[in-house]
Amino acid sequence: MTDTNTTVLDKAADKAVRATPVPLVYRVRGLSDRSIAWVFILPTIVLLLAINIFPLIWAVYLSFTNFRANRPNAEIEGVGLSNYQRVLNDPDIWQAMQTTAHFVFWTILLQMLIGFALAYLIDRKFRGHAFWTTVILIPMMLSPAVVGNFWRFLYQPQIGLFNYVYSFFTGVEPSSFEMLGSVTLSPWAIIIVDTWMWTPYVMLICLAGLRSIPDYIYEAAEVDRASAWRQFWSITVPMALPFIMLAVLFRAIENFKMFDMVVLLTGGGPGSTTEVASITLKREAFESWRTGRASAFAIILFVAVFGLANIYVKALNRVKQR
Amino acid sequence: MAEVSLQSISKSFGDNPAVSNLTLTIRDGEFVVLLGPTGAGKTTTLRLIAGLERPDKGRVTIGGQDMASLAPASRDVAFVFQQYSLYPHLTVYENLAFPLRSPARRMAADEIDRRVREVAKMVRIDHKLENRSTRLSGGEMQRVAIGRALVRKPAIYLMDEPLSSLDAKLRGELRLELKRIQSELGSTLLYVTHDQIEAMTMADRIGILDNGRLVQVGTPREIYSNPANLHVAARLGQPHINLIPAGLVPGAQPPPGTKTVGARTEHLEIQAANGNANAQIDWIEHLGDQSHLHMRIAGHKLVTLANPYVPVKPGDNITLTLKDPLYFGADGQRLV
Repeated sequence: MTDTNTTVLDKAADKAVRATPVPLVYRVRGLSDRSIAWVFILPTIVLLLAINIFPLIWAVYLSFTNFRANRPNAEIEGVGLSNYQRVLNDPDIWQAMQTTAHFVFWTILLQMLIGFALAYLIDRKFRGHAFWTTVILIPMMLSPAVVGNFWRFLYQPQIGLFNYVYSFFTGVEPSSFEMLGSVTLSPWAIIIVDTWMWTPYVMLICLAGLRSIPDYIYEAAEVDRASAWRQFWSITVPMALPFIMLAVLFRAIENFKMFDMVVLLTGGGPGSTTEVASITLKREAFESWRTGRASAFAIILFVAVFGLANIYVKALNRVKQR
Repeated sequence: MAEVSLQSISKSFGDNPAVSNLTLTIRDGEFVVLLGPTGAGKTTTLRLIAGLERPDKGRVTIGGQDMASLAPASRDVAFVFQQYSLYPHLTVYENLAFPLRSPARRMAADEIDRRVREVAKMVRIDHKLENRSTRLSGGEMQRVAIGRALVRKPAIYLMDEPLSSLDAKLRGELRLELKRIQSELGSTLLYVTHDQIEAMTMADRIGILDNGRLVQVGTPREIYSNPANLHVAARLGQPHINLIPAGLVPGAQPPPGTKTVGARTEHLEIQAANGNANAQIDWIEHLGDQSHLHMRIAGHKLVTLANPYVPVKPGDNITLTLKDPLYFGADGQRLV
């Protein structure tokens, strides 16, 4: 066959191919790897833009206006930075921030201590440790709504189990105190529930950290005459530290925006003793309907959490690189 | 330093016996190498001496003292693990100082510093003392691990294939280095390996382990030239010893009961055939300074080392004769 013949045949074949409708399957097959990658991630990007990024930008815009969501048809006026100014000068909001900080600090401290201790015990691999791990994880698997309602009953001064158990050990009359109704006790009531529910999560992360330490390092230390105490502080803690820090980060972000449990248990009360930032925010936005100011507050919270998390992640990376 | 003695030690993991009825004495200042394939019980033996495992039966004594009730920390042994068991968040210096900082030792800070620097120089890591141990190459990590054992002056150094993860060049260097350090310090050392060259070059005595049993103990020369059985003979020698049926190759006077003849390079004589050829060259591997001759005799394949200038080529017919080979009976034991 000559060259001209081939070209003619090729052209004919080409025409025939173009004329035949190509099923979708083949058209997809014709895409480059890069295009296929885009096809797969595009829906996610669109969704993300629509329900995360756009509202965020919209909230930034609203935070500079006097918009009120209950009067959607009123004219929107730009008010500059005055929303931010008011938020930062509002003593109630500072009170809420303090309450949040108090709550975050104590829940994290307790969860880390108890969670790490539990992980340390479970890691001993005693008989039935798998069973006990599962048992310990149960609170974490429950819905927060269920947990909140259960603990409302447990904290009931007349019929609640919590008061009875406490009085059993201390001899205090069970109905003499009210966990959820007292100004001094109610913050602790929430801290206890959050610790009860999320300590297993911390334990799980710490356990992963402990399991990542190879046995032979301990054996080397043992032969080197390091006491159990020294092994704990010079091997266990430093090597599990990145995991512990990760657990702190997850819990801190989570608890900074704590909402569900507080609403279910105390609703922010009594008075405003358990009113954490997210509840203040919700009141500002959907009870006072000051949407602009609430947006400003939300942006401040976001920047604070985002900034702190970033600083923290840097520190975490430094620890991990050692 | 002290004499370490194992008396009828047995240890099983579940149904698997790891070490059975092992008796061995490592004399004060002696370098003993345990040689055996994977799963022969070498590491378990070390761990039994260190106290990281407890024997099912038998006694371990160090310096005449029974170790049965003592924890690893009280046994005065130093252990170099096969993996780089460095403390990853510490610097090289701190890793080396770690065993000396034990409160049980109560060593003065300047004494620790002196020892650490001395040992760092010995294992040639003194230029990296302030580096984090995770920022080292494999060879450097293992030198730190060896150094961490050397800073102490224990009754015995236990080393579990410390060179196996290093590249060939470094392995050769550290092998010499380790032997030099050991003879300088006069330390007692039990070394575990599956590498026959390490065993042959470093050991005062070699113990051959097979399936948890100590098959033979002796100087490298004894083990090489007078192996007690087929297993020991097969562990040493490069290329692998040729095992051929008795009577196949002429030139031997096998004692009665001989089933197998073991022939290493030095037991084989090759001559260009002049009419009475009994073997053929299959293949020649050129190693550079030497060659491997692959030969075939009556369907059996043999390998031997040869001078690279031997004037033969594949396909050549040759005359093969034996010269004082090793004889083994039907049970695999050596016949003399």
